[in-house]
Amino acid sequence: MTTTATSSAALPTTLADTSFAVATSRLTKRYGAQIALRDLALQIPSGAFYLLVGPNGAGKSTTLKLLMDLLRADAGSAEVLGLDVRKAGPSVRANVGYVPERHEWGYGWMRVGRMLRHHARYFATWDDAYAGRLARLFELKLDRKLKALSKGEARRVHLTMALAHRPPLLLLDEPIDGLDPLMRDETLGLLAEHLSSTPTTVLLSTHHVQEVERLADHIGVLRTGELRAQMTLAELRAGLRRYRAEVPDGWKGVPMLNGAVLRSATSPREIEWTVWGLEQEVTRRFADAGATVREAAPLSLHEATLALLNSKGDRS
Amino acid sequence: MLIAIDPHDPRSLYVQIIDEIRRAIVLGHLRPDDALPSVRQLAVELRINPNTVSQAYRELERQGVVLVRRGQGTFVSGAAANGAERSTLASAVAARALRDARRNGLTADDLIDAIRTTATNGRREDTP
Repeated sequence: MTTTATSSAALPTTLADTSFAVATSRLTKRYGAQIALRDLALQIPSGAFYLLVGPNGAGKSTTLKLLMDLLRADAGSAEVLGLDVRKAGPSVRANVGYVPERHEWGYGWMRVGRMLRHHARYFATWDDAYAGRLARLFELKLDRKLKALSKGEARRVHLTMALAHRPPLLLLDEPIDGLDPLMRDETLGLLAEHLSSTPTTVLLSTHHVQEVERLADHIGVLRTGELRAQMTLAELRAGLRRYRAEVPDGWKGVPMLNGAVLRSATSPREIEWTVWGLEQEVTRRFADAGATVREAAPLSLHEATLALLNSKGDRS
Repeated sequence: MLIAIDPHDPRSLYVQIIDEIRRAIVLGHLRPDDALPSVRQLAVELRINPNTVSQAYRELERQGVVLVRRGQGTFVSGAAANGAERSTLASAVAARALRDARRNGLTADDLIDAIRTTATNGRREDTP
């Protein structure tokens, strides 16, 4: 990235890594005339914990279903663990732990315990002792019928099925949605423990970043089917700051900064701008324009996500 | 030893862990040859990614604060409990206070004067 590009730059959408557990290229999906995903280039490095965030309808669930080959893309390609999902769907599904957003059981009459035993047979790496422990911690009622499960119970059954075979990749679609606060906390602890004992790449989609941000190291921001930004959380912390500055009367703004300002609030003598760029560079440009920067603070992930979501798609 | 982190803190999680361990050493809650919690233990306890804990432990090892004994765990190094940790911690506290001062339009001298006055008044109130 050149110096001039830094302060008026587009947000990053590509990662520097070379080994990806998930990589898509120009992935596009339409539902009738409506475009659900457009030219998606998702890059998830091996071993990353990647948050896919965006409002409802942004295309998060569609993305995960395409990666599982549960949906067919209209254009583009997707590689999961080095496999082309279109050609190797069953192999992909055998190596992925998937928690869907909606729970549509094919066997509603089946009881939870039987479902777990049935599921275990498809996975060579199924760890029976671990499955038992997960079922206990998730307080699964093994004699309940699947069709009678609440949303939260169904989520816990899916989490057990996804984790118990210790797959190299977890695709978790809103995994703690519908769980009560205690069970959410328990689940986050179990995920931390799981990552400590099993090398895993995680793709987790959510619209509540606060609860899972402690586990994550990468973020992708999706809005209306387009990836607005994709980067490590360290890059986001370093690159996105909220600047508070004092400005002289009749201040005209910072001419060279226009493209990188994600949010701005201006009062006659004080401004608060959220700017993407290197802090030194941005501060210097403010100073050149006659403003005195009082504070350049990193944003919480929640605030940063909102700023990225509200950014204009085209800033070139 | 207790390690507390706050997602709203402007410091990154990994810096917070480093600061908390340094704090425990300065306070004497962690002494040379004491074992740090395992990566897994701390990750589960704080609900954070084990990589973040490893990253913090690696940085502390690089700074000579802890030693990694393969297969045994991470331990406070013999050289760690001296005044160096104290002054590193003091610098970090000072940097935070200065940032806060600057935000409020105060200079370093304003801050230092205020700290002296406040500390003196505090002592007077403490001693009857």
